[in-house]
Parts: sequence; C-alpha cells; structure tokens
Amino acid sequence: MAKIRKILVANRGEIAVRVMRTCKELGIATVAVYSEADRSALHVRTADQAFLVGPPPSRESYLVQERILEAAKKAGADAIHPGYGFLSENASFVRACEKAGITFIGPPASAMDAMGEKTRARQNMIKAGVPVVPGTAEPIATVEEARAYAEKIGVPVMLKAAGGGGGKGMRKVERMEEFESSWRAAKSEAMNAFGNDAVYIEKYLEKPHHVEIQVFADQYGNTIHLNERECSAQRRHQKVVEETPSPILTPELRAKMGEVAVKAAKAVGYVGAGTVEFLVDVHRNFYFLEMNTRLQVEHPVTEWVTGLDLVAWQIKVAEGEKLPYTEAPTPNGHSIEVRVYAEDPARNFMPSPGRINYLRVPGGPYLRDDSGVFPGYTVPNTYDPMISKLSVWAPTRREAIERARRALTEYVVKGITTNTRYLRAILSHPEFAGGDYDTSFLTREHETLLGKGEDPQLTEAALLASVVYAYQRDQKKAKTLTQAPSEGGKGGISAWRQASRRGR
Amino acid sequence: MRYFAKLQGQKEAVPVDIEPAGENRFKLTHGGKTFLVDALTLDHGAVSMLVDGTSYSVEFDEQGDEVLVSVRGQVNRIDVADERRLRLRAATAGFSVEGKQLISAPMPGKVVKVLVKQGDEVKEGQGLVVIEAMKMENELKSPKAGKVVELLAKEVTAVEINAKLVVVE
Repeated sequence: MAKIRKILVANRGEIAVRVMRTCKELGIATVAVYSEADRSALHVRTADQAFLVGPPPSRESYLVQERILEAAKKAGADAIHPGYGFLSENASFVRACEKAGITFIGPPASAMDAMGEKTRARQNMIKAGVPVVPGTAEPIATVEEARAYAEKIGVPVMLKAAGGGGGKGMRKVERMEEFESSWRAAKSEAMNAFGNDAVYIEKYLEKPHHVEIQVFADQYGNTIHLNERECSAQRRHQKVVEETPSPILTPELRAKMGEVAVKAAKAVGYVGAGTVEFLVDVHRNFYFLEMNTRLQVEHPVTEWVTGLDLVAWQIKVAEGEKLPYTEAPTPNGHSIEVRVYAEDPARNFMPSPGRINYLRVPGGPYLRDDSGVFPGYTVPNTYDPMISKLSVWAPTRREAIERARRALTEYVVKGITTNTRYLRAILSHPEFAGGDYDTSFLTREHETLLGKGEDPQLTEAALLASVVYAYQRDQKKAKTLTQAPSEGGKGGISAWRQASRRGR
Repeated sequence: MRYFAKLQGQKEAVPVDIEPAGENRFKLTHGGKTFLVDALTLDHGAVSMLVDGTSYSVEFDEQGDEVLVSVRGQVNRIDVADERRLRLRAATAGFSVEGKQLISAPMPGKVVKVLVKQGDEVKEGQGLVVIEAMKMENELKSPKAGKVVELLAKEVTAVEINAKLVVVE
C-alpha cells in the first residue's frame, strides 16, 4: 500500500491538534476543517491547510460527510483521520471515503456495523464466547415479557436503550414495584434521544469497575492488546480521571481480559486502534460492555506506559505496515490522566464557555498537556466542555498521583471556570489513593469532593486575600472620588485590581 | 474597617476586620485570630502574599460581585462586601434569598425549555428554565418558594451571559 502523504483531520480541539502533531513528525502534510465558530481555533493554525465546512452546530459542519470529503478532495488529501466523536464511528462515512478513494484511518465499516448498536454487539460477543453482563441479547417487545425476565434474573436490573449512549434512556430498577414506571420512562427517553424506543435489560452489577482494554490490529490478522485503563472515576457516565495499570488488576486477570478483548476484536475483523470496555464486579468477574471503534480520549496513558505513539501506529497500519509486537508489552510505570473541563463544579457543573484571559499550563518532568486552547482564545458554547487533558507518568502509582496533584496546582486559567480544584480533590481522596474506587465513587463522594476536599489553610488565605483585595479597591475608589478627575487612566484602579487585569 | 466575606457554598458571610499596617501590610482579624499580611503586587499578574511567614502566590479573577481567588491551585469563589454594601445587597437580596429573586443566564447558551408560566407558584429548588450550552442541558432552579412574577425566557432562543430569564417573588 502506498505511503500516506497528506491527512485531513475531520475533527477539532485537542484531538485534531494531537493527530496533526504526529503527522508532522512523520513528515505527513495536514489539513484542518473548521466551522464558523472555530476560525480562531488552534487546530486551524496547526494545520498546513484549512477549509471552512459550515456553521457552528456540528450537524451543519463537522458531521456533514459531503463537506468533509469535498475539503479532502480540494486539498488533495489521501487519507482522513476522524479523531474521536463526530464521524469517527460512522460506518456510512467509512464507505463514502472508500468510494471517494480516500483512506479512512480506522476500522472497516463492517467492524463498526458489528459493534455499533449495543444489542447487536452483545449478540456478536455471545456468539464469539465473550462474557457479557447477564441480560437480554435483544430488545424486549412488551412490558410483561420484560417484567418476567427481570423477575427471573432478580433486581436490581438496568433498563438500557439499544441505540443509546450518554446515560439517556437508562434506568436502574431496584424494586419490582417500580418496574413499569421505569420501563415507560426509559422507552420515552430513548425515543426522544435516539428516535428508537428499543430497550433491553441487564443485570445491575454492584460497585463495578470500568476497565477497558486497548486493542490494536493490522491488516494481516495480527491482533494484540496494549493493556488496560481504569476509568471508574466517572460522572454522568463521562470519564473524569483515567489511569493505567488498573490498581485492581493482577497480571493473571490482565492476561485473561486481554485475551478476551483480542478475541472480541478478531470476531468482527477489526483493524487499527480500538477499545473493548468491560465491567469488573466485586468478585473480579468481568463482562463485555461495548467496543469503541476509534482512538479514545484517554489514549495518552497507554502511550506513557507502552512508549508507543498510537496515532503513528494507526497511520502505519492504514499504510499496510505490520504491528511491531506479537504480544502485549509489559506496562512500564504508572500513568494518570485528568480531563480539564470548562465547567463550574460548585455550580452543579454548569458549563463555562468564554474568553481565556490568562493561561498558565503546568510544566516539569514526565508531564503532558494535550490541549486545544491558548491565552486569548474564546471557548465556544457550541461544543463539548473538555478543553485539555493533563497526563503524567511516574515509576509508581503513588508518585504519579503526587505528580498529577502538583501539576494541577500550577494550572491557572482565568476568564472561565474549570474543574481543576475538583480534580485535585479526587486525587487527594483516600478512596482514590487506596485504588479501589468503583463507578459510583464520584456520585457517592460528591459533597466531600466539592467542599471538604479543600485545604482549610488555603481557604483561609483566600479569604484574607479577598478582603485585602476589596479594601484596596475601595480605598482607591474613595481616593479617586476626592481627587481631580484629570488623573484618569489607571489612577482609579487599585494595584490588586490592576494585577487582576494584567492577567487577563 | 469591617468586611463580610461569603465563601461559595456557605450560607453566612463572616466578618473580617482590616487595618493598614505599613506599606503593602495589613492587620486582619477573623474568627478571633489576628494575622499580619504582607501583600505585594507583582508585574506579571500575581500577588505575592506572606501571612506570618507563609508564602502564597495569589491570582484574582473578578466575576460579577464575586472574586475568584486562586491559591496553590485551589480556587475559592468569594463574595466580599463592606457594611454599607451588605445593607444594599440585603435590600436586593444579594446575600440572602429574601425578596425578589432574579434568575439570569449563568453562561451564554440556548433556552431549550421553559418549565413554568407567569403567575405559577414554585417551590424552592423547582426547575424553571433549561439552558443548553456546550452540548449539555442545565436546569436553572428557583432559589426560593414563591410566584413567577416575570418570565422573559423564550424557548429556542439564544441568550447571552447574565440575560434576565425569570423573576420569582
């Protein structure tokens, strides 16, 4: 297969920049696409060429296949990297790329089809002998049938939308008396969110861990896994902190889960980078959850402990190269990633778009900040609130936690609110430090993480500082009022306020 | 001089007394303790604060009535007012949930749902308006029990930050 010379990155934000960085290191030219809201975005400046693909809403720009392909043709790109989200798991887009003679850097459309809908993926996995959470393999037609099934496997159960994601159309039923109302709610939510009210039932696992295995396959049927990522620190089914190795996995369990993940990928003829997600219960039984047929947000932690550039390998596999390993590399050290979101945890995680007036990114050894923002950039309110991923490496888990905590104290973003304090509270929490935190950790410890996670000495220092700030502001204001108006300019502004403004 | 500082998440504002004590120096009394604070404004946007020998690098970001104070990575949202302002705010309910409550847009976004009608009686914590921003729906809740006396939010319209949406009395 021919070498790829130019890649269009059909994405935005940090992932578009990250993919372009690798392309540049490989001597491959890059093409950006952008919406009207993203003219000033970093990925546009990072690319060699850039094309406008439409108005701000993604369904009118980043999700319009024809516009992306048109830009690729105009630029003469021979391949498209989809990043994550947007068109990354859209089988019809993969087919459209093939038709246009453009290499799609990702799995074949058939593998996406096989893993796309949750119930179909479950059926395929059962066929391949992969353990799945006990439940129905197909959507259930009537409430009577569903009720009978729930009685058979026993509550608690989860009702889940077949076409679902993001926690929509999902209901936990703890008592059979609630079954019918939850069934109705799940179906109506599924209909509203996905235009499809198909719902299936799964056994609810108590205190499960979310552990996923990174897999990689070349075009010659060689499939390996690159170890796991522990992603149990989740809020509203969104991952917040990820780490590898998982603190709950033994080498034996890792090998067993890795083997099953490889089997799952092989069963669907997978090529490229993919992730098989599992739930691990309190008895360390593991069950297939779903497969993400793309590069994932949390891939840097795998890169830290394997020393591989996963994007480079995606490109090489697409070019027809063979994988460099025949088995999983032994994890080296420990890596943690935290997701910096433009949101205010103290205000119920309200999104915080707006202009970044000042930005100081952490530095130091074994630290990486994958970001799509810069000082002066306005974070638009049209897209996801994740603005950066901070990841660290250290020889041990304890040292990695300390490094990530230290790095977060250096992170200063002004103009918008971010969750960096909340992230520090997670890393400082004894349950996280102990390593046995399950998927309910963030919900259960919500109050502690928001308030009590604070350092009282720093809170007191902040309180004193705020009063000095207000006092100086008022003194200056009073002075200005009694002085001639000709003083003007910065004369009426306190030194503290000036300091605040200089930072903007 | 006496100030009142309210940390976000706390119901009560605490009194803090401040007196100048030389160049860049202040004596502050709070919670029965007195602190000698040396606060030096630097050129690059930070303030170096020494409290009884402990060093803090402090950064400020004003957001409306509140100041975001960042110290060693911890950000505290603090509302500070002197006695005169406190009285004024009490009149407009800045420090409490008495009287008329204005619910405004906390960020730019789109109103996707209006959950109440003008004249509706609402409970404290009841959802009033849903705003979509950054692909997430956020329900704005009533800070008090009362009646919807003004309703300016309209479904499927874009709103700017601080746009007036609902008034509950």
